[in-house]
Amino acid sequence: MTQDNRSGRPQGRPSPGESRLSRVEAQLRGPFLLFFVSAVIWLLVASVLGLISALQLRGVSGEVFTFGHVSAAQHNLFIYGWAFNAFFAINLWLTSQLGRFELRNAWLVSLGAIIWNVALTYGALSIFAGDLNGFSLLEMPRTVGPVLAVAFLLSAFWPIVAYAQRPTGHSFASQWFVVGASFVFPLAYLLAQLLVLWNPASGVVQAIAHSWFIQNLLLLWLGGSALAAVYYFLPKVLGRNITGYYLASVAFWTFFLFAGWTGTASLLGSPIPVWVQSVGVVGSAMFLVSVIITAINFHGTLSTQSGWSLAWNSTTLRFISLGAVAFTLYGVLNALFSFRGFNAVVRFTSFSAGQEQLLTYAFASMVIFGSAYFILPRLTGSLWPSTKLVHLHFWATAIGALGSISASLAVGWQSGKQLADPAVPYAQVLTASAGLASASLIFAILFLVGHVAFALNAFGMILKSSAPAVEGRHD
Amino acid sequence: MNDSNRYPDNNRNRRGPSGAGSDGLSDGRLVEVHSQLARDKEEPVQGFSLTPIFIVFLFCGFGFWAGLYLTRNSGQFSAGVFDLDAPKLATSGGPAVFEPDAAKGEKLFIINCAVCHQATGLGLAGAFPPLAGSPWVGGNGERMIKAILAGLGGEIEVKGAKYNGVMPNVGAGLSNAQIANIASYVRQAWGNTAEPIMDTKVAEVRKALADRKSPYTAAELLKENPLEAK
Amino acid sequence: MQNPKLLIAGVFLTVALPFGALLLSSQVQLGDLAPAPEEEGGALYPATVPGLAVQGRDVYTSLGCIACHTQQVRPSGQGSDIARGYGDRPSVARDYVLQSHVLLGDRRIGPDLANYGARVAPTPKGTQTEPEKAAALAKSLAAVHVAIHHGNTFAFLYEADAKGDFAPERADALAAYLLSLRQDYNSPEAKLKK
Repeated sequence: MTQDNRSGRPQGRPSPGESRLSRVEAQLRGPFLLFFVSAVIWLLVASVLGLISALQLRGVSGEVFTFGHVSAAQHNLFIYGWAFNAFFAINLWLTSQLGRFELRNAWLVSLGAIIWNVALTYGALSIFAGDLNGFSLLEMPRTVGPVLAVAFLLSAFWPIVAYAQRPTGHSFASQWFVVGASFVFPLAYLLAQLLVLWNPASGVVQAIAHSWFIQNLLLLWLGGSALAAVYYFLPKVLGRNITGYYLASVAFWTFFLFAGWTGTASLLGSPIPVWVQSVGVVGSAMFLVSVIITAINFHGTLSTQSGWSLAWNSTTLRFISLGAVAFTLYGVLNALFSFRGFNAVVRFTSFSAGQEQLLTYAFASMVIFGSAYFILPRLTGSLWPSTKLVHLHFWATAIGALGSISASLAVGWQSGKQLADPAVPYAQVLTASAGLASASLIFAILFLVGHVAFALNAFGMILKSSAPAVEGRHD
Repeated sequence: MNDSNRYPDNNRNRRGPSGAGSDGLSDGRLVEVHSQLARDKEEPVQGFSLTPIFIVFLFCGFGFWAGLYLTRNSGQFSAGVFDLDAPKLATSGGPAVFEPDAAKGEKLFIINCAVCHQATGLGLAGAFPPLAGSPWVGGNGERMIKAILAGLGGEIEVKGAKYNGVMPNVGAGLSNAQIANIASYVRQAWGNTAEPIMDTKVAEVRKALADRKSPYTAAELLKENPLEAK
Repeated sequence: MQNPKLLIAGVFLTVALPFGALLLSSQVQLGDLAPAPEEEGGALYPATVPGLAVQGRDVYTSLGCIACHTQQVRPSGQGSDIARGYGDRPSVARDYVLQSHVLLGDRRIGPDLANYGARVAPTPKGTQTEPEKAAALAKSLAAVHVAIHHGNTFAFLYEADAKGDFAPERADALAAYLLSLRQDYNSPEAKLKK
């Protein structure tokens, strides 16, 4: 693959020391696989729970599996189990690679992984046992909070160390995003735990704190980590520079500056002072600045020299460019639907679930998949066992995501329109949105199929790698 | 296109570290090149670009709009504004003038008085005196308001029957308007035909009783406000 | 960008700004809110709820009812909440000051419950809700949840399970809690519509 070198840097500099690079990856191989395997297991669990909750809208009963329990557990496990574990792994790999960081304390990271997943298991079981509260993504018993925070620091503090210790003076956008995300989340998590669960603020201030926390989690931690991966893999795999890269620092700062203000837009019409709501609206709109710049960076890079078709033909980039498009869509949708007129229609409907899925699945999870297809073969030294499963994984998840998100958005909008008319009885609105229940069952099955395909492939590869020196392809 | 082209990652043997440089950019170069790009701002071959100016304008535009939006939609950053349309409604009113409201009065009566005097206003024979047809609730209302505010105890004769109980100062926890509503209701329900009572009247009596600690006795109350001749 | 300390400091600032400007200042503004009388010297609203209702609140949270029910009425300019009869006025911050954990909710698969107590059983304010009424409501909840094709009847609340464990107290507590949910009083920030 050719790459044009316009920077005027001398060509033919010594390529990175080969033995050092290998040591970098050798050091983090253990923790990476530990995180990654946990992530995939949680993804499967969450997919099964998603299926149960889709069935539930059609009539499954019982005390342990109330809709409230299943959807809360599914949500928490998808975010804290799948996305967090996966980004612990990817962020660690990314910053180690970029900063030539040798992880000497791999056991600490593994300890973090174990604590994180044990605490998460306890939290999820507690939800089913009925020990939950009403704040989404803080539903687990409050005692889990500090444990998760400690585990997060053990697991995700290393990118910051890697950044501080990098041997050259240079730095890259991916590093900023990972460092920022790793720094912001524990802060926001602990403050939210304090203000919402341990020492609850007065009345609706809890709701304000919660909405602020949710945006810190979803946008800054998940979004920031995923953006880091996109910034890395696009030039890496395409072998070209990022278009308009000089804007990336503006994207970074506007991203972190405005994301924290967007939360209260999700409380429009709620019993909080209007100025708090309006600040959220302004924040969501200002956030567009960073969305536009990342769009220039990503789509610009992909649009030159038949980048899109190259991306389509690379497994990694096929997932990642899909994620990049999803992020742009999310930003625009989020800004548009934080305005009172639109928001009043879709508030309390399935629309916001669709919006969140656009961010957490179509963007973040797709980026994770893409990254996994790149990183895992390097770390395991083996190949993806089955190309067919890769195809199955891509199409099942892509169609599932597209269908599930557009169904949530469309049904949300439609039932919102009906609800806005007080003459339409509530029962009729429910009947009209019953189609969503059937659709979500189909998409839940699609997701499960795609994830099982991914898991089979990934576990097959990891298992194969533990047997020494297996040569050649398998399928 | 065959599979090996469709999935290059899949087929390139990347077992060793050599894989790092084999695709696109090596990590070292990736960082270095982009670091340089960030410093040079614009790639020189492109010459003049509109992008940075576009971003600056975008920023200014958003900033201007944000200021405008917040000024218009923040409710003066007050803690008490929850509805953007509400301030308009509030300013259209003017100072509220009290109007006796029979419905409110009845509701308050049920809650505060009906336990003893009963919803029928007939009281309970031998225990609680009736209000229906009772001369005690007639007149200019002072007698009645005093009893509500301060309480009334000891022997009392109503409509020919003797009662000996204690009425607590139920009015102490109620507002002037609430008491006025209750009193107005009692004075016009069950065939009673006295004038309604205004909240200012209650305020007057409340002020006069400010120092009073003990409930009235019937004799004391009659001395201050004798029953009106029929 | 190149200096890790500056980067971290900048990021810290971006977290601290919204935290201070949104959270701390709204805590300053709303932290001291307390129940207020409808009219000068009147009884205070929101009223304190009976102990059984507090227990019922835990049942509500523990069953995950918040997944389908909100407890907030939007102003008439935003949505049709008031026109639909969910409440007679928009909810305001003061309505929630006595709740240890607010349960605003963000999804309506079922109807809003902010003013449910007043809507379902219009008893005069301040009067004790009779246990019979609560029990009747508890029973009707099952019927309601079947009627909307939700599927889960929450029958386990009223019936003995296989082991013979019978806990109708939970149903009673839940009903008492639902009846205690009312925003049918004038608040200094929002008046009931006439």
